[in-house]
Amino acid sequence: MKKIKIDFILNGVKITDEVPANITLSEYLRDYLKLTGTKEGCSKGECGACTVIIDDKIFDSCLILIPEVDGKDITTIEGISKDDLTPLQNSLIEEGAFQCGFCASGMVMSLTNLLSKNEKPSLEEIRESISGNLCRCTGYKKIIDAVIKLTKAII
Amino acid sequence: MREFEYYKVKNLKEAINLSKKFGKNKRFLAGGTDLIVRLKDNLIKEENIIDIKNIEELKGIKEVEDEIHIGSLVTFSEIIESDILKKYSPLIVEASKKVGSPQIRNKGTIGGNICNASPAGDSIPPLFCEDAKFFLESTNGSRIVNIEDFFKGPGKTILKEDEILVKIILKKWKENEFGFFNKLGQRNALTIAIASSCIKIKKSDGKIEDIKISLGSVSPTVIRAKKVENILRGLKEYKKDEIIKICDEVKEEIDPITDVRGSREYRIEVSKYLVFEALNNLLNIRG
Repeated sequence: MKKIKIDFILNGVKITDEVPANITLSEYLRDYLKLTGTKEGCSKGECGACTVIIDDKIFDSCLILIPEVDGKDITTIEGISKDDLTPLQNSLIEEGAFQCGFCASGMVMSLTNLLSKNEKPSLEEIRESISGNLCRCTGYKKIIDAVIKLTKAII
Repeated sequence: MREFEYYKVKNLKEAINLSKKFGKNKRFLAGGTDLIVRLKDNLIKEENIIDIKNIEELKGIKEVEDEIHIGSLVTFSEIIESDILKKYSPLIVEASKKVGSPQIRNKGTIGGNICNASPAGDSIPPLFCEDAKFFLESTNGSRIVNIEDFFKGPGKTILKEDEILVKIILKKWKENEFGFFNKLGQRNALTIAIASSCIKIKKSDGKIEDIKISLGSVSPTVIRAKKVENILRGLKEYKKDEIIKICDEVKEEIDPITDVRGSREYRIEVSKYLVFEALNNLLNIRG
């Protein structure tokens, strides 16, 4: 299959590559770059485990064909902080917000995006922001509690 | 995912010419939230994928005198955030909030939702209530089609092989117009409608001067319930028992299927109450 040239920014680093068009961004991240922090659950945009931030918005990376990323600025779970965990991640750990952890990186990406635009979100806004992320341990309450605890601390 | 040839086009002319060249053997990639899933499931037989996402002519929401023009590439998130639409066409904004999830709304486009022609497409019922017009362009030039003439069945439209949906044209709302959209799913986010209804009412002196009712997921295409509209038009007194009886007439206008989401019988019964619930939100129903 004919290869397509792509140029984009990933976690602050410029990437240039030639890849077949029939792979998704999640496959490229995990299989080509070995960045396995991004999880793939349903592969059809229903679970949000593969959520990444592109140009300040969240997307399911399983629903992005690799040629579509050309010229974009992409952040994955590996790129949300330079060295230590973020305050959000620490708050999630303190609250014991995750059990199996499969949804965790997607949840963190959606919540990171929310907090970058809205330092003090309402309960409704927190719930809405993770409405595209499934947690099959059904641990939503502690995830939401962790955000509330963190944002109150910010005030 | 199966192999295909990928083409990124820069303008409308290029898209139309390429589409003419490939005829039936092509699919347009807009948001891709449906197309990419179908490519993975091997449900797409066409060998050429034309990525239209960079076509400027298909973008943006514009006020044009008493109309609003929505480019076919406008995403649901853009619709929800649009001050023009919030002010002049709030039903499409409400319906867009019910689409998929934040991730899906950031990528999925109104044009993709229309051209996929699913009877469950969330943006379609409000467009029926707005008497939307679709601006289409092909190698033979452009034409404007009324929404009621556009859909032919599930996944089927009147679009010709080299034709592309450029924009959706809506009339701005007037002061005495009100609307309500409700979608019944198994939950709020990431759900395909079991049934949905949309109502737009024009009131004057406490009377229903005009009313438009559309229903999704209960017929091969989204439909207007014109018989029920005709009974309600001109009505002044809103008594609960009578209104429910009128809503029951909707069963004469729909033809639902039984699938994993709900049975035909359930959809018929629930359609009555979806229409009632919408009316109850718009009128002062007593008793």
